[in-house]
Amino acid sequence: MGVSTGLAAFATEPETRVAAQVCGALEAVFEAVAATRADTAALLHRAAAEGRRPVSRDLAALRPGLHLRLRHEELVSGAGFVAAPGLLADVPAWLEWWQTGAEGDVRPLLLDLDPHRSAYSDYTHWDWFALPRDTGRRAVAGPYVDYLCSDEYSLTLSEPVRIGGRFAGVAAADVYLRHFEAAVLPLLRGLSRPARLVNARGRVAASADPAHLAGSLTKGPDFGGLLTAARPGTYDGLRLVPCRGVPLVLVLA
Amino acid sequence: MRQHETDGGARKAVFAPVDNRARVDTVVRRIGDAIELGLLADGEQLPGESELAGRLGVSTVTLREALMALRQQGLVTTRRGRGGGSFVSLPEVPADDRLRARLRGWSTEELRDLGDHWAALSGAAARLAAQRTEPADLQPLRRTAEELGDAGDAAARGRLYGRFHVELAAAAQSARLTREQVALQSEVGALLCLVLADDAYREEVAERHRAVVSAVQDGARETAGTLAERCVRESAARLVAVRLTL
Repeated sequence: MGVSTGLAAFATEPETRVAAQVCGALEAVFEAVAATRADTAALLHRAAAEGRRPVSRDLAALRPGLHLRLRHEELVSGAGFVAAPGLLADVPAWLEWWQTGAEGDVRPLLLDLDPHRSAYSDYTHWDWFALPRDTGRRAVAGPYVDYLCSDEYSLTLSEPVRIGGRFAGVAAADVYLRHFEAAVLPLLRGLSRPARLVNARGRVAASADPAHLAGSLTKGPDFGGLLTAARPGTYDGLRLVPCRGVPLVLVLA
Repeated sequence: MRQHETDGGARKAVFAPVDNRARVDTVVRRIGDAIELGLLADGEQLPGESELAGRLGVSTVTLREALMALRQQGLVTTRRGRGGGSFVSLPEVPADDRLRARLRGWSTEELRDLGDHWAALSGAAARLAAQRTEPADLQPLRRTAEELGDAGDAAARGRLYGRFHVELAAAAQSARLTREQVALQSEVGALLCLVLADDAYREEVAERHRAVVSAVQDGARETAGTLAERCVRESAARLVAVRLTL
């Protein structure tokens, strides 16, 4: 599972091993995001080589890859490319976004992006778009209620797509929190102390600790600083273990 | 820009199955409101009868009756033959008069109940958000409150009012409350245009929304809940007052 299997093999402490396994589960999703980014960059370069601006129709070439990832990547329930406004010649904004339906079918997200008709037409404020745009790096947004695309409590993993040094949009994948919990709960429950995973802002993303459920805030520790330092720490009796490579911290009560 | 023909965003709620009390009225109200809110545009073709009936979860007979009522209200025209079907058509009557006609379809008891449901949703959302919100979560709410303060036309004000309450439910970290709020806004959104056309009241709502954001930020659970409830109850009361003049 991703780059962290090596780390896991050398890890001795159970919590370090669990942190590495959590990271591994999300690395598999990031691999899907990276594949979408590569496909998108390739097709945008092709349009540039033909001396023209890309149009929304060009993005249809992403569909076989997106469908493949939605079918085969267990945690991924939505995947696609979200264009930076102004990238495409024919439309002001665009999401080439596909989702797994309730019956396992794959279908497009159909959004109304007309600001005169929809109050939700501007997607550039969402963390999954703004974080990769502003930092230039991949990001994990959430957990958050995704009322724009899926109506689900979700994590969205995204990374910027750049063409000729310019931000062109983000490649991204949605992981519903219930699926993420199913993947990591057995790991958390295997630990000897009540354990939870929190994001850089202290929001619980998954928990085996009934006193601190998903969606609640863990206040006090500087989780952002801990993730930057990438070293375990303690806070008021809590043990804090950062997951390497993904912005989640394992918290043991 | 319209990305696709019929689905998506707030529009998703328009074609979600109506509940099992589903009657002609419910369908008429839902589609009529969507037209008033601009979710369905002038000249837009509605999906075919069997598809539309399937998506709304009503029989084709019920749907036909609803389309007939919409035609009588002048909100839908039907063309036969090739390229035919049902099309959205905004009559040449001022929007305000059309909305008053829509409001007449509500009894004061139904409006009171709508206000109760809305207060329950937004109050609960505000209380949970006060416990679960960190500063970055409040950005969307602040932006919406400011945009409402600047919004010119009544339809935009109605949409922004609704968006604030959807964002509040999302800040509560509750997918269920959020879905309920989106569905409620598809009912109340168009009617709200009637009371939000008044600039002074629009500013009052924006101010009430700012106060909710401040209370949520302070973690003042009860204050946030009470302020959110008061805000939507006042709007419901204003709708009742307008209804009683009709």
